[in-house]
Parts: sequence; C-alpha cells; structure tokens
Amino acid sequence: MFDTALTAADFAFLARGAGMTIVVTLISVIAGTILGIVFGVFRYQVGPIWAAPLTFVLDVFRSIPLLIQLVLANAFLGTILRLNMSGFTVACIILSLYTAAFCAEIVRGGIEAVPMTTRRAARSLGMTWGQDMRSIVLPLATRVALPSWIGLALGVMKDSALVYIVQVTELLKSTQILITRLQEPLLLLMICGAFYFVISFPLARFGGYLEKRWSND
Amino acid sequence: MKQTTLGLGLLAATAAMAAPSYADKLDDIIASGTLRCAVVLDFPPMGMRDDSNNPIGFDVDYCNDLAAALGVTAEIVETPFPERIPALMSGRVDVGVASTSDTLERAKTVGMSIPYYAFENAVVANEGVEMATWEDMKGKTVGATAGTYEAIWLEKQITEWGEGTFRPYQTQADVFLALSQGQLDATVSTVEVANANVASGNFPGIKIVDKAPMVPDYVSLFTLREEYGLINYLNLFVNQQVRTGRYAELYEKWIGEGEPADLTIPGVYR
Repeated sequence: MFDTALTAADFAFLARGAGMTIVVTLISVIAGTILGIVFGVFRYQVGPIWAAPLTFVLDVFRSIPLLIQLVLANAFLGTILRLNMSGFTVACIILSLYTAAFCAEIVRGGIEAVPMTTRRAARSLGMTWGQDMRSIVLPLATRVALPSWIGLALGVMKDSALVYIVQVTELLKSTQILITRLQEPLLLLMICGAFYFVISFPLARFGGYLEKRWSND
Repeated sequence: MKQTTLGLGLLAATAAMAAPSYADKLDDIIASGTLRCAVVLDFPPMGMRDDSNNPIGFDVDYCNDLAAALGVTAEIVETPFPERIPALMSGRVDVGVASTSDTLERAKTVGMSIPYYAFENAVVANEGVEMATWEDMKGKTVGATAGTYEAIWLEKQITEWGEGTFRPYQTQADVFLALSQGQLDATVSTVEVANANVASGNFPGIKIVDKAPMVPDYVSLFTLREEYGLINYLNLFVNQQVRTGRYAELYEKWIGEGEPADLTIPGVYR
C-alpha cells in the first residue's frame, strides 16, 4: 500500500502548486470583494434601471462557466489585443471579476436585509448617508452576508483549479503532472484533497467563529 | 467634378484600408522573445517529465532548438493529444511540436511543415531464433496486439507467404511476454516501443532484428495555416536539423541506437 515512487522533491512540487492556489485565491478574493462591494452598493443605490448595464455584465460573469471565460479572455487579450500578459495575470483578472459578480449579489442582499425603518431612524437623527452606511448598514449587513461570503471564498479557492488552462501550474495541475509520471492516481489525489482541506478548513472555521461571536451580543 | 471627388474618396479609402502594416507570426514571435510550443508530455520518449517534473524528450529538445534558431526563449505548453490544435487556434501556442501525423484532414485546419520525424516499425525476435532481416519471419510463429495496424500487416504477410502462424494478443505487454518466453518467434511494434522494452529489462531474451517495410507514420510541425512566412521557416528548420546531424543526434539521445527514419518519400516532391 505504501510502496510509492513519490519523493520529497515531488512533495515539494505539490506544495508549490498549493502555494500557487493560495496566491491566486487570495488575490482574486481580495480584489473581487472590493469590486463586489463597490458594484453591490452602486446597484442598490441607483436602482434597477440605471444599474441595468452593470447588472447585465455581472450576470454574464455569473452565468458563463469559468473555464470558458478563461479561454476566451486569454485568446482575446493575447491574440486580438496583443497584450503580452502572463497566464497568471489573466487568471487573476478573470477570477477577480468572477468573484466580484457573485460578491455584488451578496452585498446587495446584505444591504437589503437592513430594515428600512432602522436606516430612516438613523437619517432622522441627522446622520449623513456615509455615516448611515458606515455605522448602521455595515455592521448589520456584514452579519447577514458573512456566511455566503465564506461560501464564496471557499468556492473560488476550488474553482481556481481551472486556471491550469492558462498555463498556471496550481495544485490540481501539479497533481495531474505527477499522476502522468508516477501512475499512482489514488494516492496522489488523496494527497491533493488533503492539501485542499488544509487550505480551506481554517477559513471555514474562522467564518464559523465570527458568526458565533457576532450573533451573541 | 463629382467624378474627381468620387475618385479621391476611393483613393483615400484604399489607402486607409492598406495602411495598417501587417506583421506576421514570425515577426511576432521574434518581437515577443518567446516561442510557445504545444508539446504532448505523456508520450515518451517524444515528450515526458524528468524526476524533478521538468519537460524532457525529443519534442522538447526540438522546440528548444527551434527557439534557439529564432533567437528567442522556448516555452513548453503542455497539451494533451486532443488539445493540440485547439491550443493553436485559441492563441495559447505559436507552433505545435507534438508528434502530429500530417493527415489531410488536419491540414484543412492548420498548416503542416515537412515531416520532422517518422514513427517506423521494427521486427523484434526471441534471441534463440536465427533472424537477420524482416523476411526471415517467413514460416515462423509471429504475433501482435489484435486489431492494430501491425497485426493486420503481419497477418497479411503470413497469408501471402502461405506458411507460418499468426497469434493475436490482448495487449502489447502480453505480446512481449510471449516473445520473451519463447511462445512467439517474432513480432512487429514501433521502433520506440521496441527500444523501450529492450532497454527496460522487463522482457529478457528479446532483440531488435530489422525495420519492418511498413509505411511510417510521418509527423509534422504545425502552425496557423495562413502563416506562410512561419511555415517556410519551419520547413527550412527541419531541413537544417537533418543536414547538421542534429536529427540523428536527438534520435540517438531519445530513441536509441540505429539509423533514424528517412524523412523523404521516393518518387514524389516535397
């Protein structure tokens, strides 16, 4: 059972792949969340008619499979615009927009969950729109949105496996390379799964901890 | 007056259309400083990975040589067999150095260079059997994997000679096992498989006798079919590889001892 050709160097190779998965996920989740907040607030604030073009673009990013987006974006940026971008840059841009499209919905839902009466009360106390957003909407909406956001972040981490198509060697691609060479798919996939678990478990637990802490007061 | 205006307008329109100077793919590759090659990396000895997971093999070296000739750095883009042409069409690679057979069907989509390699077939025999050429298989017990090109060819030869026996097997490993144990006198397989099996030591008592006179599987480099500048360059590059002896050198490095396949076809141009 434990007779394997896997060497320490191969294990380091897998770890480098895992590192790439973490880097791509971190960049995309951070950029995607910032963009998502901007888009979400904008959509809520200007109303459905004025936000229609943005809504349409976000719907496109939400409904087209990520794999297709990556291939098309890579072909468009590389062959038509002739920008000499690395696969890593293309992967981060597309994954960020993909995250932003989902995050905008989560943010909008969070804002809508804050009772209108509470916000009116804030404004009648003389708070400005900015103060209302910061002190009333932000704390209440965050609590509502957090579980979905954690789900989104974990989802993006696993979706990042698709960036192999633009020549980024992340965790799953590293595993496939080793499977081709060593012909030990079961062992390697188990190790790969363990890596994914190690990456996502702390995030999931951190989310659970925040939820618990915020719900008691 | 009206005609002059129209004429001037047409002239201006023609000039506007002709104006954007067109840099072809060959220029683009040299300008970008990188040559991206599609290579199949699960096809030893043409493409595979070494112990530290770096791409190696005949095709990898061939891509590196091409990049060196162009004065750029090579980037090996791993593509599975069915992904080779899509990778080119979607702009992920510049050329394919991927052991691609130059079929007429593929040539409808991509531009093929002259063949840069050919997969030949070898006659492999048990060491206890006296054999010098492929024709010595006459009257012997031969076998191959059922249904393959080699099996069909062998069976046809046996019928033609009117003596000897043909035995079909399920897998190639079974064929070599039978050959090693002496149940078979000889078989036919690709030179690459034959060399690898002899070198592996898993099948003691077998030897390569001769090349089988079957039509080789010619493989070509490929790029976008409208890139004549690049295709011309690729053709000359293949020619130079053979002329300078690099082709034979790579053959010896990756496939083994012996004469590499003749890349010309007697009796026809190109």
